[in-house]
Amino acid sequence: MRQQSDGDPPAVEAVALTKTYPNGVRAVRAVDLCVAVGEIRAVVGENGAGKSTLMKLLYGLEQPSSGQLRIGGAAQTLSDPSAAIALGVGMVHQNLMLVPSFTIAQNVVLGIEPGRGLRLDTKIAIERTARLSEESGLVVDPKARVDEVSVGMRQRAEILKALYRGARLLILDEPTAVLTPQETDDLFASVRRLRAGGMTVLFISHKLKEVQEVSDRVSVMRAGSLVGTVDTDQSTAESLAAMMVGRQISLTVVKPPARPGRITLSVRNVGYQPRGAGQALHDITFNVAAGEIVGLAGVEGNGQTELTEILAGLRQPTSGTIRVDGTQTVRLDVAGYRAAGIAHVSEDRLFNGVALDESIADNLIVDRHARSPIGARGVLRPRAIRAHAERLIREYAIRAPDPSAPVGALSGGNMQKVVVARELSSGPRLLVAAQLTRGVDIGAMHFMYERLIAARDDGAAVFLVSADLAELLSLADRLLVIKDGRLVARFDDLTGVSDTEVGRFMLGVQRHTDEQIRAVPPEPESATS
Amino acid sequence: MNAAVEVILSTAFLAAVLRVATPYVLAALGGLIAERAGVSNIALEGSMLAAACAGALVSGYSGSTWLGALCGIAAGTLIALLLAVARLNLGADAIIAGIGLNLLASGATAFAVFALLDDKGGTTGLPSGTLPTIHIPLIEDIPVAGDILSGQNLVTYLALLSAPAVAWLLLRTKFGFHLRAVGEMPEAARSVGIRVRRIQFLALALSGALAGLAGIFLSMGYVSFFVRDMTAGRGFIALAAIFLGGLRPWGVFFAALGFGAAEALAVQLGNLDIPPQLVSAIPYAATLVALALNAWRRRSRSDPAASTTQQIAQ
Amino acid sequence: MTDTMVELADRRDFVASRRRALAVDLSMALATILAALAVGFIVILAVGHDPLEAYRAMLTGPLQRSTRVGRWLEDATTLTLLGLSVAIPFRARQISLGAEGQLYAGALAAAVVAIFVPLPPVLAVLVPLLVAAVAGGAVGAIPGVLKARLAANEIVATLMLNAIVVRLYDYLLNNQLKQPDSGSVRSANVPAGSALTRLQDWFGVPLGRANLGLLLMLLTALALWLLITRTTLGYRIRMVGSNPDFARYGGIKVPRVIESSFIIGGAVAGLAGAHLLLGVYGRLEPGMAGGLAFEGIVVALLARNNPLVVVAAGFLYSYLRVGGDIMEQQTDVGTEIVVIIQAVIVLLVTARLLPDLLKRRLARKQMAR
Repeated sequence: MRQQSDGDPPAVEAVALTKTYPNGVRAVRAVDLCVAVGEIRAVVGENGAGKSTLMKLLYGLEQPSSGQLRIGGAAQTLSDPSAAIALGVGMVHQNLMLVPSFTIAQNVVLGIEPGRGLRLDTKIAIERTARLSEESGLVVDPKARVDEVSVGMRQRAEILKALYRGARLLILDEPTAVLTPQETDDLFASVRRLRAGGMTVLFISHKLKEVQEVSDRVSVMRAGSLVGTVDTDQSTAESLAAMMVGRQISLTVVKPPARPGRITLSVRNVGYQPRGAGQALHDITFNVAAGEIVGLAGVEGNGQTELTEILAGLRQPTSGTIRVDGTQTVRLDVAGYRAAGIAHVSEDRLFNGVALDESIADNLIVDRHARSPIGARGVLRPRAIRAHAERLIREYAIRAPDPSAPVGALSGGNMQKVVVARELSSGPRLLVAAQLTRGVDIGAMHFMYERLIAARDDGAAVFLVSADLAELLSLADRLLVIKDGRLVARFDDLTGVSDTEVGRFMLGVQRHTDEQIRAVPPEPESATS
Repeated sequence: MNAAVEVILSTAFLAAVLRVATPYVLAALGGLIAERAGVSNIALEGSMLAAACAGALVSGYSGSTWLGALCGIAAGTLIALLLAVARLNLGADAIIAGIGLNLLASGATAFAVFALLDDKGGTTGLPSGTLPTIHIPLIEDIPVAGDILSGQNLVTYLALLSAPAVAWLLLRTKFGFHLRAVGEMPEAARSVGIRVRRIQFLALALSGALAGLAGIFLSMGYVSFFVRDMTAGRGFIALAAIFLGGLRPWGVFFAALGFGAAEALAVQLGNLDIPPQLVSAIPYAATLVALALNAWRRRSRSDPAASTTQQIAQ
Repeated sequence: MTDTMVELADRRDFVASRRRALAVDLSMALATILAALAVGFIVILAVGHDPLEAYRAMLTGPLQRSTRVGRWLEDATTLTLLGLSVAIPFRARQISLGAEGQLYAGALAAAVVAIFVPLPPVLAVLVPLLVAAVAGGAVGAIPGVLKARLAANEIVATLMLNAIVVRLYDYLLNNQLKQPDSGSVRSANVPAGSALTRLQDWFGVPLGRANLGLLLMLLTALALWLLITRTTLGYRIRMVGSNPDFARYGGIKVPRVIESSFIIGGAVAGLAGAHLLLGVYGRLEPGMAGGLAFEGIVVALLARNNPLVVVAAGFLYSYLRVGGDIMEQQTDVGTEIVVIIQAVIVLLVTARLLPDLLKRRLARKQMAR
């Protein structure tokens, strides 16, 4: 597997590398890392373990507080990414660093543009990008604008950026977070091809199964320290998870069977035309009954965001009807949706799930601030607010110093707990949950799963959208698949359904017929349509 | 009414439009450079004022018009650099820092004039220079266009040239390419080793220089003195022009010309026995209406589900 | 030092760190003022005047005579009202620079009612005040609605509206409202029954033009503070200001909150105009507000939009203004130095905000994964 002979220096080496931020947070603690040339090394760890920070140190985006960094055997100080790039280090970030309104070719050459003097030569940029794309097998359209191409192509463009600069060490940060199983396979094939050409690859991942598939060795980080490095073929997903968390944990979810009741959510022929960017929705029809979890699978960007926002009242559908327990919701505003009993755990909590600078207590009451006991007749009740916050902090085991602490001071997992606590405590009829465990560590993840199932068993209808197929398959009672804004598959029984099977539907290789998708199962009680 | 129409269509009026629009064009294009780099310059007013004052004082005391002009531009650039330091090095809020610098310019210029000349109003007592008007040989002979295009002040010609120059800078050069990347997605620029902060500094410096040029036009173009607070809000109108022009060089250029036209119109109509206060309110009212229309047009095109924060923060 | 911010799980630690932060804030505020005064000191020295004499006049002058104290109180009242008027929209993340126009609209409306509408004793004061608030609120509503419903840039809208209202005011003052037999441009006097009682009539000590408006201002500040911290509308304003997407997601009607913030702000600015009319000048004068509207914006920013702190900041700023006038009368140093000092305070204060911002941003980046 390794192409390095024992005399050669390692591709990259970190010696007691440490990064402490001005506010005291020690993100990376005395990490010793040694990656051989031509090795594919995975770095795994929970959120906040320091993986991303370590990669940023290797790329010059951050400077170490102490310790030494060696590239190709020579000690280096990387004051900024251009120093790293000059030494042959390339990085593909999780949040793709592409300028949306520029073309792919423009993005690839950004910073080292061809052209004489002050002028920028666009034609040469396009030519060179096309040539590089052909040579490396990474297919892109150089003239297309970045905000108009697929996520897969954007990622390939990022890799081309690194290749254009002569990278010999490629760092990938959560590269498969937004890819289908098949696109992931394509990526891994590209990675192996690059490795055959002498490239060293370092990648961060959450997905232990993928790590096992493509990497040679795995390094595990926990709370800023490098806990250990093992050969991939000597490890299992469970043993890696144990190293990450420090205790034996089970990766499966224990879930009692669902007992669905009446139809709570009835979506009929919903269509949506976005004005501007976004995915259109076509003819979406499905039900969710009280007491069941319906999952929605799909590659990100196929309409899940639009659909969840429509269900929560943040967007208006262009056509079709939506009923929650008989109430027509389509013409209502968000307040109306919430009054109809719909709760929403949003996809991006930092964007709209919390107000970072406000206190935990204030964050917990946004949907009920004008109702008794929190606020009555226009006046807030501070004591009621505090009691409410303390109760929820206790019930949801939120690690926070005080209800008046700002939410921004909490870790990702605890922040998500605040969101979940707020949404679940409203006793919703319908819970729309998107990316429930994004950026949440494993311990908190299981807590969320338990709460979700408890809400279901209390009679809520749950609509769960997730980019994590494993999560969906273990939590959902029924599953729908969305592609290009249409429902393409429906699984009422998930026993024996594998993620590769679902992946085929996600990619459009296969699809169910409309009758299969719209079939109305026999209901235990009369429907209220 | 006929008199008004006659006035508007006269060559004298059109020539006046170019003259009046000069400071708006320069300041707005300068502000555009900064805006596209992601650092709005709210202190254009302060740059203009500082430049106008410095230009008059230096040319008056030194006897050299050109030295005064250079110092004026330098003063305008200095204000913008102070804004850059406040925003980029010290992390100050754009609005507060801008307002603070405008205040500083207003106070410092008035203080300087009072301290040096013992005059509360301005430098009228000090003989300072004017920048030359230029008569272009062949063009001045063209019947109608000649009277409009020739015989303008040097700075007006610079303003007219600045539109294609800024367009070329932003759209065709590597610097402009980096600048737009920095303004649209600084993380992407940083990740390829572009010095984001340096570009933002340069962008602000350029905006200050152009605003400075606008400033010396005010105190050294057709008059040769500085009057306290003589910029009279032009820096803010330039901001309006940047938005109305859709953040594009030629759009901003024409929006600024539009403001010049409205102001020139107000003056001309004033000569026709229409109450001056109401007439001088016209450009502002026009801007307000244009702002509302523009927003309405943008609104009906964009997605209502787009970020509320983006919609609010503009 | 603990590992992560969240492991400050001890409540006592948290409260102690809060108290530390407050102490740091206060001492930094003091240091800022001293530094700005130092800069002014150097500038005065540089132009060859006596800074000690100038500062003595500026810093002790306002307290030497009761009329000067009165001048301070009266100026602070207007300035603080103006600061309060922008603090509310600022709290909702709206950059409203429209206090000037709203002030003149309020003064205009109050003058028309006071001069032309006969009213019984107490109403003769209350009705013009009410009308001033309504007029100010109406003028504030225009950019508010444009922003809330059309996302139109409120900085430009408020600046344009200021210019329009000021010119309308000048026009009316020079034509319809002009007092025919007087040499200068001004309106008729408001009837005595509408005037806000001068404080010197109560205290027996000469206090210049300081008037009941002071009490009005204090009550307004208190009311606004209660609004922001204790009412549901105030909660909505705070959430919209903190994260408008979060507010919308939580069911808050964001456009309505934005409009409300502009209207409330406009109403308070209208009251400032009424104060100038009924308490200070007794009639409409051209350019009554001077540069106060702009300085009110600065006061609000310095006070971080907290209504109670705005009062303190307003009194402080006013003290410097009055002191500056005295300094100019008694020494060779012009009042512009006060503007410079104020500008330096603004710039230093924004620099002071950096450590907090940086800390929070870093913590956010750390925790965001």
